[in-house]
Amino acid sequence: MSELTKEEEILKEIKDKFSDAVENSIIQRKSRIWIDVSENAKLDIMRYLKEKGYYHLSTITGFDEGEKLGAIYHITNHKIIINLRVRTQKENPILKSVLPVYPSATSYERELEDLFGIKIDGLPEGRNYPLPEGFPKGVHPLRKDVKLEELNKMLNEKCIKEE
Amino acid sequence: MSKMQIPLGPQHPALKEPENFMLVLDGEMILDATVNLGYNHRGVEKAAENRNYIQDIYLIERICGICSHSHVSCYINAVEEIAKVEVPQRAKAIRTIVAELERIHSHLLWLGVAAFELGYDTLFMYTWRDREQVLDCLELLTGNRVHYGINTIGGVRRDITKEQADEILKKIKYLHERTSYYVGVVTEEPTFLARTQNVGKLPKDIALELNAVGPTARASGIEIDVRKDEPYFIYDQLDFKVITYHSEDVFGRAVVRVLEVIESIKIIEQILKNLPEGPISVKVGWKIGPGEAVFRYEAPRGEDIHYVKANGTEYPERVKVRAPTLANFQSLPYCLKNGYLADAVITIAAIDPCMSCTDRAVVYDIKKGKKEIFDWEELRKYSIEFYRKKGVKFS
Repeated sequence: MSELTKEEEILKEIKDKFSDAVENSIIQRKSRIWIDVSENAKLDIMRYLKEKGYYHLSTITGFDEGEKLGAIYHITNHKIIINLRVRTQKENPILKSVLPVYPSATSYERELEDLFGIKIDGLPEGRNYPLPEGFPKGVHPLRKDVKLEELNKMLNEKCIKEE
Repeated sequence: MSKMQIPLGPQHPALKEPENFMLVLDGEMILDATVNLGYNHRGVEKAAENRNYIQDIYLIERICGICSHSHVSCYINAVEEIAKVEVPQRAKAIRTIVAELERIHSHLLWLGVAAFELGYDTLFMYTWRDREQVLDCLELLTGNRVHYGINTIGGVRRDITKEQADEILKKIKYLHERTSYYVGVVTEEPTFLARTQNVGKLPKDIALELNAVGPTARASGIEIDVRKDEPYFIYDQLDFKVITYHSEDVFGRAVVRVLEVIESIKIIEQILKNLPEGPISVKVGWKIGPGEAVFRYEAPRGEDIHYVKANGTEYPERVKVRAPTLANFQSLPYCLKNGYLADAVITIAAIDPCMSCTDRAVVYDIKKGKKEIFDWEELRKYSIEFYRKKGVKFS
């Protein structure tokens, strides 16, 4: 498939350079690469990608797979999106901040903290985002074990108590 | 003089949306600025996981009142990619028309808001009057002024008739004339120039580093546009320019937007004169996946990105939305720093944060203590009656 040469090139470069860190990878279609990487090598890979012109961090998607939590970093040079996926354990989940490489990531990392309860190591203290002040502590609404009905009930009760 | 910290918002004096800017001032100069968001978290991503794919179209459409077509198109393209659906050309063309009409409506709305923030109310009234023409086009095509509901998984819900196409071409022609006039106003009118040039500077290297998107980035000389970089719908078959400007200030952002309106008009004319024939949708099952997809879309404000993960059921496993305004908020504190307090409002407005409007009003009768909800017709009747009682004659 000659139309995927650019995708194959960059994937091969990453695989060659960070052979221990790449756990799984796939070229899904034109302009879409998905790579599962280890948390330890994440920042080095990002630094390398940024040098190669992948300067734009579009966003970070958090996810809950049941046994593990994780995040996908959607990084692009505006032609190809490289989706780097890292995972962390559910007990005391922790990921390193990517702010040293992508300074635009502040809001996206706060989202991971608020909505998934993943501690971001290296993220400066700041106000909650996107959950409001006074949202029940320790409740991370996008985790799969938080059911919508329970969440609604809890928030309604809280409103009544405050009134 | 000692430093002073003042809050701008969250009951915002300029934009009808809750956000807070903490400004550190030395006299009238802004030394530092922090953006605080999250006053209006609605939990759309959680809600999307608990609705099926069709219901999610209508939920996601309501993320924003202005970019409603953008968000849905972005989501729907991701879903269609997972479901491996080939959308008919005619459906793609209709989606493109609605997308460009939305861009015109959004940019004209922005120009009005920007003029209003500058105290240039004549321009505000003019642009919003002309924006009605686009909203009429959208209503004619989709039945709605704001949430169009044109998209469905596998295509669009309404076809375009010959009469509709002619009517839109007529209105678009009028808009072309008007927009050419606005290009003149924005680039020549001394008040506009005085208030926008060298205000809210965002140099190219900073814009790149902080990942600015859309007209904000393009006004700093960065040539990015998802419509060109990763063409979706039928953009690869169309002839249009990516507008960039190198002044790196609020003025540049205004110029980029008005010129983009002209490009959008050109796009719509091209499609309507050469609309592909064929069906407007294909049938897609309720169950999608398993699989995952990420999709980028050029909304009026810039790159919109959605991630959808499907697990083979009727409900998505995960939907992630990142609207362009959030990306542009990262560079906003930089734009505000070293500017004057008086320019803060237009600098914030220059990234075009979203706002929404509605054609209904709630009236509280204090004496009777009751509340009534007026729709447009009732409100109109009420106002005519009100002025008639005062002796105004309607002829």
